[in-house]
Amino acid sequence: MIEADRLVKHFRSGDGGIVRAVDDISFTVTSGEMVGLLGANGVGKTTTMRMLATLLKPTSGTARIAGHDIIREPLAVRRHLGYLSATTGVPDRLTPREVLVSYGRLHGLDEPTINTRVTELLAALGLETCATRPCGRLSTGQRQRVSLGRALVHDPPALVLDEPTSGLDVRGARDLLEHLERLRGDGRAVLISTHRLHEIERRCDRFLIIDAGRIVATGTRDELAGPTGSLEDAFFAAIDGGPPP
Amino acid sequence: MNTPARTPGRRSRSILAVAHRDLLEFVRDRRTLFVTLLMPMAMYPVLALASTLGLRTALSDLEARQAPRQLVLILSGPEAVAFTARLKDVIRTDELRQRPDWPSKVAVEMVHPTQAQRLLDEGTADAWIQVAPGTLAALDGRGTVPLEARTSAIRPRDARRQAHLVAVMQALADDARQRRVEQAGLPPSVLEPVSLSFIGGPKAEPPASMEGIVPTAAGGVLVLLALLTATGAFYPAIDAIAGEKERGTIETLLIAPASPGEIVTGKFLAIWAVTLATLLVNAVSIAGTAAVLLKFLPPGYDLGIDAARTALTAGFTLVAFIGLAAVAAALCLAVTSGSRSGKEAQNTLTPVILLVSGLSGSALLPATGGLLFAMVPFAGQVSLTRSILAGEPAGMAAILLLISLVSAAAVTWLLLRAAAAALADEELLFRGPEAAGGLLLRPAPRRRPSTMQGFAAGLLAFAALWYSQGLAPENLALAIPFQQLALVLPLVALLAWQRVDLRHTFGLRLPRAIRWPMPAFAGLLLGAGLFIVAAAVTLAIRGSHLSSSARELAERIVTLIDAYPWPLSWALIAVLPAVCEEVFFRGWLLAAIAGDRPGPRRAAVAVVLQAAVFAGFHLLPERMPQTFMLGLVLGWLTLATGSLLPAVLAHLAHNSVPLVLVALADRHETRLALGDTSHMPGWLVAAAAVAALAGFSLIALSRRR
Repeated sequence: MIEADRLVKHFRSGDGGIVRAVDDISFTVTSGEMVGLLGANGVGKTTTMRMLATLLKPTSGTARIAGHDIIREPLAVRRHLGYLSATTGVPDRLTPREVLVSYGRLHGLDEPTINTRVTELLAALGLETCATRPCGRLSTGQRQRVSLGRALVHDPPALVLDEPTSGLDVRGARDLLEHLERLRGDGRAVLISTHRLHEIERRCDRFLIIDAGRIVATGTRDELAGPTGSLEDAFFAAIDGGPPP
Repeated sequence: MNTPARTPGRRSRSILAVAHRDLLEFVRDRRTLFVTLLMPMAMYPVLALASTLGLRTALSDLEARQAPRQLVLILSGPEAVAFTARLKDVIRTDELRQRPDWPSKVAVEMVHPTQAQRLLDEGTADAWIQVAPGTLAALDGRGTVPLEARTSAIRPRDARRQAHLVAVMQALADDARQRRVEQAGLPPSVLEPVSLSFIGGPKAEPPASMEGIVPTAAGGVLVLLALLTATGAFYPAIDAIAGEKERGTIETLLIAPASPGEIVTGKFLAIWAVTLATLLVNAVSIAGTAAVLLKFLPPGYDLGIDAARTALTAGFTLVAFIGLAAVAAALCLAVTSGSRSGKEAQNTLTPVILLVSGLSGSALLPATGGLLFAMVPFAGQVSLTRSILAGEPAGMAAILLLISLVSAAAVTWLLLRAAAAALADEELLFRGPEAAGGLLLRPAPRRRPSTMQGFAAGLLAFAALWYSQGLAPENLALAIPFQQLALVLPLVALLAWQRVDLRHTFGLRLPRAIRWPMPAFAGLLLGAGLFIVAAAVTLAIRGSHLSSSARELAERIVTLIDAYPWPLSWALIAVLPAVCEEVFFRGWLLAAIAGDRPGPRRAAVAVVLQAAVFAGFHLLPERMPQTFMLGLVLGWLTLATGSLLPAVLAHLAHNSVPLVLVALADRHETRLALGDTSHMPGWLVAAAAVAALAGFSLIALSRRR
């Protein structure tokens, strides 16, 4: 469902040099699978996810979302992808309902479908009581749930979530992750990145550990850490030990 | 999941969805509501009230100054009694009271000379005349009676009372004149050689006319209207892209299935709607304020307003300003789309809005207007209304309106394209400023300057050049280095702040061609040929007429060439400008606009823009077409060869041609060299064209190889 094929992204630094933010990354996330993308700050996680979301153009390589190429068919990719990051916000002066309705229209849904879908989402995300309050007056957790609703309004088969629990309290993070598990259960492909490894340790089916723009380890929790080890130890072992043979 | 096809209907839905979303945000923003609705509703009444109060105070001051006052005249001397009687007899006439300079009352008193000065200094009396013996006899005789009116030594002289005294003495003189004529046995007609009377309809009462004040006042109001209409786009535009970047919501729009063009168009529609609301509220406020002012106009005043023309003016103005609102909305969106935060957008947009008001204000200058002027956004709309008020026929006004609307649509489209390009720019979207610290946040070194730094250098240099005009010495031999220094000094300051790769920015390397002398030689041929060809083309289009400024400059250059040894003249006229101007325009500015490894479109835009700035810097309009063409060629030459050297040589050759012509030929050719001639020898133009073509071909060929 989500297929990255030798993705490369170079940035030009101010002094004319080249920064290799993402350096030849390939992976697949199938339907009904939740994959965790792990890595320290500045190693290329966000750049990878932005490329998948068509916000950045790859320097070389490509990716496909639900079979659509991110370079050749960016609009089709956006119709099949839900994207959420720690920095994506919600308009302060719109209500959660208005936010979801406006994105439903942007996705070309008809009005009856939008109304049904928005009502369902508000209920599923526990936003019914604040559906008519401006987003600027909502708590961080509520705002993040509105963001998730925005990413789901067009019922996408693939989700790319860049640190979606950032800034949330323990309960808020758990509610959101439980919701994501339900979405995975519905057959969606979910790629998620976070620094809070314990949150997703038992929820993700597989993990990709990325360092300096390259994938340095991949596998299930048990494959990476063993039945008794912790994911955190496996993570440090992977990034300190360099790429696997 | 179904994938709907991209039809025009779907694009429209995306655009409208963005517009609706943004409009909801704007109307819920109190700042927008304040600037859009409240400010215009209050501004015009406040301005009208302030100006009316000011006007009334000024008028009442004027009336008070012009009102007749009492004149107290004191007399002394042996014949004071008889003089007083004579004066009182004269001023009794009713006709005199109709004179505008006649006092409200004339009091004539006799006093002892010792008291007179005290009365004057106290302010009890206005003037004192010492009537000498024989005054009355002289008055009835044939000579001139000298009278001295003394006033207070310590109190300032009252001009109005002085005029009253002159009028009273004038009446006395008229009476004496009449008596002398009678005594001489002459008829009174001696004093009136010509009598003029009017035959026709009833005498018209002259109205207290204010005709002519309307177009003048309207001009000021229109500039204000243009400024406030543009201000309506200010906050929404900042909010639309820069604000969304700050809030992190722009990404959510960019991952929706809508192109940057559709997103920008949707945002533009929302901003345009707010701007139109601002325009409408302004128009209502202006109309309401005008109605109030008309009601309070004193009776008898005529503003010379024709109802039909007023309706035509209002209608045309409103339609033209709809175009202006579109340009304002697109301009504000384009300017702010490159900003990363609301604060940055505000800082960028504020000078643009001020510039816009300056542009609309240019329509108030005399000799502006016409078809070409109608195409200029902001100035064209103001000029259109002024020309209708000045009596432009409706047909011509309609043509001007159409031109203004078409131009506004074209400019809006271009600006939206620029905004869409900036919106899709990855660097502007995700990358923050690269600061290396220090008090002024000196930026990290760059390979080439940024586009903004290019234009910053342009603005700084323009300001330096402008001020240097006033400070530059009269002597051209000193003025030229002074101006060239003014051009490059801001660049030096900028370079101290933003470190760049000098070799790369200024093309400090030999041309990329296989053998570098070839492009250098081609540059020389091109530059020299261009001077003559451009002069011939300019002559063919414009004729040999030169403005006084251009003629004066030409004469000063010839004087300079004659006055100094040729190496010095050559250094001043050719070498210095070739080096300084090329370093600035084809070095810094072109590098900044073109960026690293520009594509054909960006290269073309960069060449055209720097050539336009280059032409603008040659302040004289006559020289601009020629300098623009030269700028285009030099820009192309720099990008084509990857080196500044051919452009410097071409510029050098171009500026050396006048010196060569002056040295080799007589005064006729001297004038020819400076563009002032009635004809251009065909062989010279042909040779120049061949040289330019050969230079161009050599560069093109060396590129291909």
